[in-house]
Amino acid sequence: MKNNDFAGNVVETQDLTKTFGEDVAVQSLNMQVPRGTIFGFVGPSGCGKTTTVRLLTGFYKPTSGSLSVLGKNPTSFLKSDREKIGYLIQQFVLYPQLTVWENLNFAASFYGVGVFRRRHLNKLLDFVELAGDKHKLARDLSGGMKRRLSLAATLVHKPELLFLDEPTAGIDPILRRKFWDYFKELQAEGHSLFITTQYVGEAAFCDLVGVMYGGRLLMIETPDGLRRKAYGGDLIGIRTNEELRHEHRQQLENLPFVRGKVKIVSDQEIEVIVEDASTAVSLLLEWCQTQQLTVAMLEKKSPSFDDVFIRLIEMEIKND
Amino acid sequence: MTRFFKYLIRISSFLGKELTEIFRQPKLILTLVLGPFLIMLLFGVAYPDQGRTLKTTFVATDPVSFQKEMDAFAQSYNSIIFDYSIAGDKEKALVNLALNQTDLVIVVPDVSFESIENNQQAEFLVYHNEVDPFQVGYIQSIARIYVDEVNRQVLKSATAQGQIDSGALQNDLKTAIIKTQTLRQSIPAGDVKTAAQAADLEKDLTGLDQKLTTFRSLTPGVLVSPFTAKVFGLFGDPFTVTIFFVPAVLALLLQHVSITFASLSIVRESHSGIMELFKVAPITAFEALVGKYLSYLFFEIILAGIITALAVWVLKIPILGNLLDYALAVFALLFTSLGVGFLISLISETDTQAVQYSMLLLLASIFFSGFFMDLRLMREPVTVLAWSLPATYGIRMLQDIMLRGSPVPVFVFLGIMAIGIMLFLVDWVLLRKRMESQYS
Repeated sequence: MKNNDFAGNVVETQDLTKTFGEDVAVQSLNMQVPRGTIFGFVGPSGCGKTTTVRLLTGFYKPTSGSLSVLGKNPTSFLKSDREKIGYLIQQFVLYPQLTVWENLNFAASFYGVGVFRRRHLNKLLDFVELAGDKHKLARDLSGGMKRRLSLAATLVHKPELLFLDEPTAGIDPILRRKFWDYFKELQAEGHSLFITTQYVGEAAFCDLVGVMYGGRLLMIETPDGLRRKAYGGDLIGIRTNEELRHEHRQQLENLPFVRGKVKIVSDQEIEVIVEDASTAVSLLLEWCQTQQLTVAMLEKKSPSFDDVFIRLIEMEIKND
Repeated sequence: MTRFFKYLIRISSFLGKELTEIFRQPKLILTLVLGPFLIMLLFGVAYPDQGRTLKTTFVATDPVSFQKEMDAFAQSYNSIIFDYSIAGDKEKALVNLALNQTDLVIVVPDVSFESIENNQQAEFLVYHNEVDPFQVGYIQSIARIYVDEVNRQVLKSATAQGQIDSGALQNDLKTAIIKTQTLRQSIPAGDVKTAAQAADLEKDLTGLDQKLTTFRSLTPGVLVSPFTAKVFGLFGDPFTVTIFFVPAVLALLLQHVSITFASLSIVRESHSGIMELFKVAPITAFEALVGKYLSYLFFEIILAGIITALAVWVLKIPILGNLLDYALAVFALLFTSLGVGFLISLISETDTQAVQYSMLLLLASIFFSGFFMDLRLMREPVTVLAWSLPATYGIRMLQDIMLRGSPVPVFVFLGIMAIGIMLFLVDWVLLRKRMESQYS
């Protein structure tokens, strides 16, 4: 990886806006991406994720606002700045007539990687598990293999900061998981990763998640923080051997650390939202004892990010 | 690593990539090498170095005697009329002409010496079924040559008859000379005046006899056509049609191959989305363009070399000039043609559009580059269009070097290089624009 000569946030934007005629693609985006993190940029298709990446890579000029990537404005990047950036485009843009090796070699050349690069390229192919397919023509690769080749081509010049635009789009869940393993490895090597995805479940693998909707960045949070924001606290599930009656639920709702209404899952199971799960678990156990309820299960629940995301969007629509 | 070294590596990325893509298509290479060679070979086989044989039907009122006449003059007519038949029915002959069963119908006039003696010309009526102005021109000259030949034959036979007839006249003249000599000897010695008159008469008659002797000694052919013409070219014997056309075919093919390759190159990349990657990567438009130029030039120079070698060794096409001049001319042609191709690629929205532009340019080159119509026949303003096509310069340079043995024509070379450099600069600006602000 290139030497880090910039120690601050790898990405910073302030009121970053991009419009195309009357259409506002990205509106007043404010964010900071700390060095060495995996930053997930989550949102539905067409919400402005790719536009943001294009702004950050210098492909688009912003309509207004300011931005800094590795301490510089991308529109005035020098060649040396561009060498520190890796960019994985959504679609496969390499050459179908060339083999895996030739494509990788081509990418290495246009990034100006020195001629003694064979070992490095082989290592990359090992990393993306394409070493056995290096003589295959790109046109003969499966969708997943093409994505892996694109990823290897993005890494060929050992960039400091990686922009990966929907790297897992259109590939099977097993390979998607593998990709996230790659990303974790890259993070461990010191790369910073800015990853867009429409699979909201992938937010769980990120250090920080930015939620985009309708061209606006709704929030930046840790994955847990997102859940808390969506539900107003931590979610705890309780199952008892006895039936949970109406007065039990009312009492629970009146406890000071419990937020909102209790959700009934079955006659013997409920879900409650608490301020902080770490302190609430013991208090809830105490409450069960006082109510002479035998606890069969009491644990912090992690709702799926699909549910979290839907809740957040619903909240946003309600606020609007 | 120095910046310059990185710059070279980035240029080499396209050099390697384009060449690998080309060499990955052996069928394409085979077509590009064998295609032009086979076209030239077929061209040589297809067009014999002689005029078109016109299947001719003569319509004569007396076919039998006309057949005898044709047989008698077959030797003379053979160079003009190769394949003929004689008919008596003009209408039927014209129907056959309309059905393309014959190429030409010549209605032979009913010649009588009386009509000539009456100071009247006899007219051959020549009918054809052509719409091509070149073919009509060819038939008109054939008709003219044929009638000239008929006139010559008539004059020749009249002259031969005159020479025969003059034999009797010369005998009479000789008798008259002898009689004049006898008369002169019988004149009394004192009659000087009469003797002088007789001597003058004898002298006149002797002179006339000598002229008749000369007239009779000359062949009728020389008498009828005392002058002939011989044409000499400054560069030896004239070339065959095939040899003459090969440099032009070569220039046109090399231009077309270059334009087609280059015209598809950038337009495809624009569609694949890789331009977005180029924009973000440290590669510049200049490096990309130089890389592309170098790769195609490298491949096409090899291609031109193979085609030239096949033309020289297999088709026996001469290169009378210097090989270095030839290489320089080919380089200039390829460099400028690539510039045109890249320009097409940069202004086209789709592959189809790029191919259409290339085909239009090929068509314009066939008509305006001097490929088959001499540029000197072109109206002055249109020559501007002609001299904006790389093929025009290419044809001129290759013909001069290959057929005349001249060095590369300096102004033509400078002209094509100036266009090539200008196109490179325009392409560079356009590619920069495309790479920098494709979606901005």
